[in-house]
Amino acid sequence: MISRRNLLKLSGLAAVSASLPAVTQEAAPPDYRLDIVPATLELSPRHTLKTLTYNGQAPGPLLRFKEGQPVTIEVTNHSDRPEVVHWHGLFLPTDVDGALEEGTPPIVAGGTARYTFTPRPAGFRWYHTHTMAMGDLTRAQYSGQHGFLMIEPRDNPARYDQEFFLALHDWDGHLLASDDGAMNPHYNVSTINGKTMGAGEPLRVKQGERIVLHVLNSSPTEPHWVALAGHGLRVVALDGNPVPSPQTVPMLRLAPAERVCAIVEMNNPGIWVLGEVRKHLQAAGMAVSVEYANQSGAPQWQQPTDLIWNYQQFAAAHSDDKAADSPVIIPLVFESKFRGHGAMELWTINGKSYPDASAAPLQSGQRYRLQFVNKSMDDHPLHLHRHSFELHRLGAPLGAGKNPAPNRIRGIVKDVVLVDSQTQADVDFTADNPGATLFHCHQQNHMDLGFMMLFNYA
Amino acid sequence: MHERTTLLVPYCLILLALAGVPVLAEAQGNYEIQVYGADTVPAGNLMVELHSNFTVDGQKETVDGVYPTNHQEHETLELTEGINDWSEVGLYVFTSEQDGHGVQWVGDHIRPRIRVPEAWGWPVGVSLSTEIGFQRSAYSTDTWTWEIRPIIDKAIGRWYFAINPALERTLHGPDVNQGLGFAPSAKVSYDFTRVVSAGFEYYADYGALRNFATTHDQQQQLFLVTDLNVSPVWEINFGVGIGATGSTDHLIVKAILGRRFDWGRHSAMD
Repeated sequence: MISRRNLLKLSGLAAVSASLPAVTQEAAPPDYRLDIVPATLELSPRHTLKTLTYNGQAPGPLLRFKEGQPVTIEVTNHSDRPEVVHWHGLFLPTDVDGALEEGTPPIVAGGTARYTFTPRPAGFRWYHTHTMAMGDLTRAQYSGQHGFLMIEPRDNPARYDQEFFLALHDWDGHLLASDDGAMNPHYNVSTINGKTMGAGEPLRVKQGERIVLHVLNSSPTEPHWVALAGHGLRVVALDGNPVPSPQTVPMLRLAPAERVCAIVEMNNPGIWVLGEVRKHLQAAGMAVSVEYANQSGAPQWQQPTDLIWNYQQFAAAHSDDKAADSPVIIPLVFESKFRGHGAMELWTINGKSYPDASAAPLQSGQRYRLQFVNKSMDDHPLHLHRHSFELHRLGAPLGAGKNPAPNRIRGIVKDVVLVDSQTQADVDFTADNPGATLFHCHQQNHMDLGFMMLFNYA
Repeated sequence: MHERTTLLVPYCLILLALAGVPVLAEAQGNYEIQVYGADTVPAGNLMVELHSNFTVDGQKETVDGVYPTNHQEHETLELTEGINDWSEVGLYVFTSEQDGHGVQWVGDHIRPRIRVPEAWGWPVGVSLSTEIGFQRSAYSTDTWTWEIRPIIDKAIGRWYFAINPALERTLHGPDVNQGLGFAPSAKVSYDFTRVVSAGFEYYADYGALRNFATTHDQQQQLFLVTDLNVSPVWEINFGVGIGATGSTDHLIVKAILGRRFDWGRHSAMD
């Protein structure tokens, strides 16, 4: 159902040109055009891969919107199947959010749609296909359909000399038996911005510059840790939202769909490697060189010895009494169902898979606490559409009396959070964007197999 | 299934050209009763397996100097080291225990194996092992033998299928001039739970490839088996098998207990 508010906002809707050709032909020129087209990507001189892309490239073109300024993107689907583009991290109406489950119309094969909306909130977002791959490890998020989206704030306080957008992605997947007894995707090639180490252009910097890295993990299923040899990374935003306590860290961890913005002071001249810290993934290609001006030689790498990351370090240092509210608690228990050693697992939320999984209707304006109880053997990057949430508590081990409850976290606002296996995580959000709201694990194979649920507003 | 056929056709044509005569020399099998899957042991890992097989009802007479199998307990130690992500080498130590003969060393085999790497993304698992070794004449009149074993497997949902159309050749013994023998095996199992699988394993020795032995002289065994998948590093298999021909031991119980050890120094960075 389209509300009056949404109708006023959506000048063209996400209409399908096949059914409404006149709308497309007579409308004013869009601000941006995206063409969903197959393209042959040269990931490296040894690896070429034919996949679906936006405008023939992966990642797709960087889109820059102004916060609060309406924008229209025209998308033409040149593929042979219906598509939909999700504007990840934005507070959008259901008609244009880009999830079929919420009611966004599909773009039929050969059709064109217009997404018109007022982008908010400001920050580093992204766009990607929101289709299902099921067992086809070339479709959906396994393909090249992802791109950067930067919502510029009305008043940009950023102080930097250069910015770089980096997408981490895994390609050429196949199913293999895993230690959990089920089949899971494994990949032959891993890239940054669609290129393996040495196959793409380096990041060129100058001594004394202050650069900002906007890092996106667009991998269909894999978390990634990245470091820049010889440099610390000062994390200033998670999922595009400024953190209360920026910290300089040796490496970043990004679950699928997460973003990190980090500032780097270029004060160590040389040729350095920015890449996955795990050796087999860097060997699979996930790295890029960072070259200071007037420097030469082979890129240098400094191998870390441990994987280091936690969200809590970026939280507000002191309690905020205003946040001591009493949200309505929604427990969500995640489990898997074994379907044989030759199959991927089926996923359930509170014992049911999509579309049967459900929760009580949300009351507009109410504050809620989602209690993620991850009883499965996998970690899950959980995403809530059309809203942001604030981390409340993470890493509580399941089972009474095992460990004291972890400290409360304040001030970290995200739209994806990685919940570790056998732990509970709590996040809070305010139901302030009425309409069907999709919640799901952002691992493509998990959302394909049941790990989704729709929240509906009363 | 098309891929399997494609692979087997040229293979069988070569073998037909090399096949020998049909008579089976007296020999004991049943030291390692296992249908191979296509996976190899990971690089830097050592798989230690103990195969325990007891012949409840078998050959009761000494034939051509070969001890009877009836009430023999076979203990076989199998050590397999993973070389890389597409090869491994296995070593076998065969022993036998029986009233009147005590515990006896029977022989040793070595078995290199290669596989199609997983990264190739083939729709079925494919590997090829070759095995050469010695066994004492009291346990087999053919003392030196060689085997080549193609392995094809596939897991589909809860079902698992494997086929090993093995070929054997005697290098020293009465059958040295008899060419290649055909000794296929196959497995079908079903995952009842994440831990418990059960199914059937079939083992046969048809004799010379170009001129199969008579049914009486062939070996045909069918085992009801269960696999317990308690951990990625453990292998547990039990089975009870019956022999369907006059030359086959009539009733055998078997067990495989394996544990994989990772000798490499691994960190989260690897």
